[in-house]
Amino acid sequence: MFFTIQTNELYFSYTGLPPYLLNGIDLEIKDGAYVSILGENGCGKSTLMKLILGFLKPSKGTIVTKAKQIGYVPQKNDFSNSNFPITVYEMLNAYRKLLKIKNKEVISNVLQKVGMSSFQDSLMGTLSGGQSQKIFIARALMGNPDLLILDEPSTGVDIGSQKEIYHFLTSVNKKNGITIVSVEHNLDAAISNSTLIYHLSGGKGHLCTPEKYTAEFLKNEQLGRIR
Amino acid sequence: MLNYSFMQNALFVSVFISILCPCIGIFLVLRRYSMIGDTLSHASLAGITIGLLCNQSPILGAFVFTSICGALIEFLRTYFKKYTDLILTIVLSLSVGIAITIISSGKLHANADSFLFGSVLTVTEFDRITVFVLSMISVCTLIFLYNQMLYIAYDEEAAKIAGVKVKLINYVFSILVASAISVSIRIVGVLVLSSMIALPVATALQLGKGFKLTLVFSIVFSVIDILSGLFISYYLNVAPGGFTALISVAVLVLVILVRRIAFQIKVQAV
Repeated sequence: MFFTIQTNELYFSYTGLPPYLLNGIDLEIKDGAYVSILGENGCGKSTLMKLILGFLKPSKGTIVTKAKQIGYVPQKNDFSNSNFPITVYEMLNAYRKLLKIKNKEVISNVLQKVGMSSFQDSLMGTLSGGQSQKIFIARALMGNPDLLILDEPSTGVDIGSQKEIYHFLTSVNKKNGITIVSVEHNLDAAISNSTLIYHLSGGKGHLCTPEKYTAEFLKNEQLGRIR
Repeated sequence: MLNYSFMQNALFVSVFISILCPCIGIFLVLRRYSMIGDTLSHASLAGITIGLLCNQSPILGAFVFTSICGALIEFLRTYFKKYTDLILTIVLSLSVGIAITIISSGKLHANADSFLFGSVLTVTEFDRITVFVLSMISVCTLIFLYNQMLYIAYDEEAAKIAGVKVKLINYVFSILVASAISVSIRIVGVLVLSSMIALPVATALQLGKGFKLTLVFSIVFSVIDILSGLFISYYLNVAPGGFTALISVAVLVLVILVRRIAFQIKVQAV
């Protein structure tokens, strides 16, 4: 099995100097894995994601991403452009052109996949949290990505839509073999849906199965709280 | 009125301004960069004075200097990430400083006042050609970069992932803003130029449509504002720039009121 993402001795701080927020991260994410990145606020989850996406450059170390096409779903709360006058169709059509996809039907195909076909003429700003998240997932699926990166996909999304979104993500991961990396604050969703969990703490990371994570890390955290 | 050649020239230039300004303005407004338009329009005054000082076309002088200032804003953005408004103050100080120094030196070969308020009398044949060439190049560039600019405005991170060269396009966009400003100076004037860029877009945004329709309505409102401003200011014998700005505000207020009344009627009907 090949890897989609590999980091070697990855160090990062926003100044480029110590102390580092990410302190020698060695992470290998294999093709077809569904990895949730968990950790306390400010531990560097989103920073690691931005490094993988190429928005930031490592202070030291390397990141290799072998994905041919990356799909990215932003965090809804980070996306303050809700008043932007753009319809779902316009948003997806412009993205299709950026990806140089000639076939216009790709728009109806991805909308159908996320069950949002009837919303193509709606303004993005009029959609609910769950609906807009589904549209961003639809956009990320354009161009058949082999890696899907999500930043807290359930933030600002109602419980019903959360279930639909995670069910959909699990399904594209299993059926289509798309590697998924999701920065999560939703512990239950991470444990129930991911194949692996990457726990970040104190600038270091640890990759394990959800079962092991539940048994070890959660137990330690609970014990820590009791003490 | 249209028998006068100066009015024909003014009308020709106005038509191009009314198309170009909202096309640039929609991206400025949606990226929350309206104040860049204001800064660059003031920066153009320095370009005008440099042009006049060197016995060159003031419009070309404005275009070159405003492009440099636009690129400077983009460049400084990397250094003042957390204080982007400070960049505008720096560029504004630099350019207004240059303009005032040149004007007060008494070495100018022409009067720069008409550029402050806008004047229909000063549009020359060479201005017409310059405006035509700059506008055509700008509109063609906008059409070519439409999707890239739309995505940079809407979701810059997604644009980067899709392979858009965001930095390069931001520099190109700075030049487009400079172009829109320099073609508009003659008629509208430096002082109210930014209103021509932002107000028709602000009016169109009230209609709550998608991007393409908002752009089309911005152009429609811009044509209404600028042409009615030009014709009425001719009969009132006032500077077209100031009067066009007044009409733009009036149209915006009118659209807001009509929208509110329509909403109230809808609520009552339910």
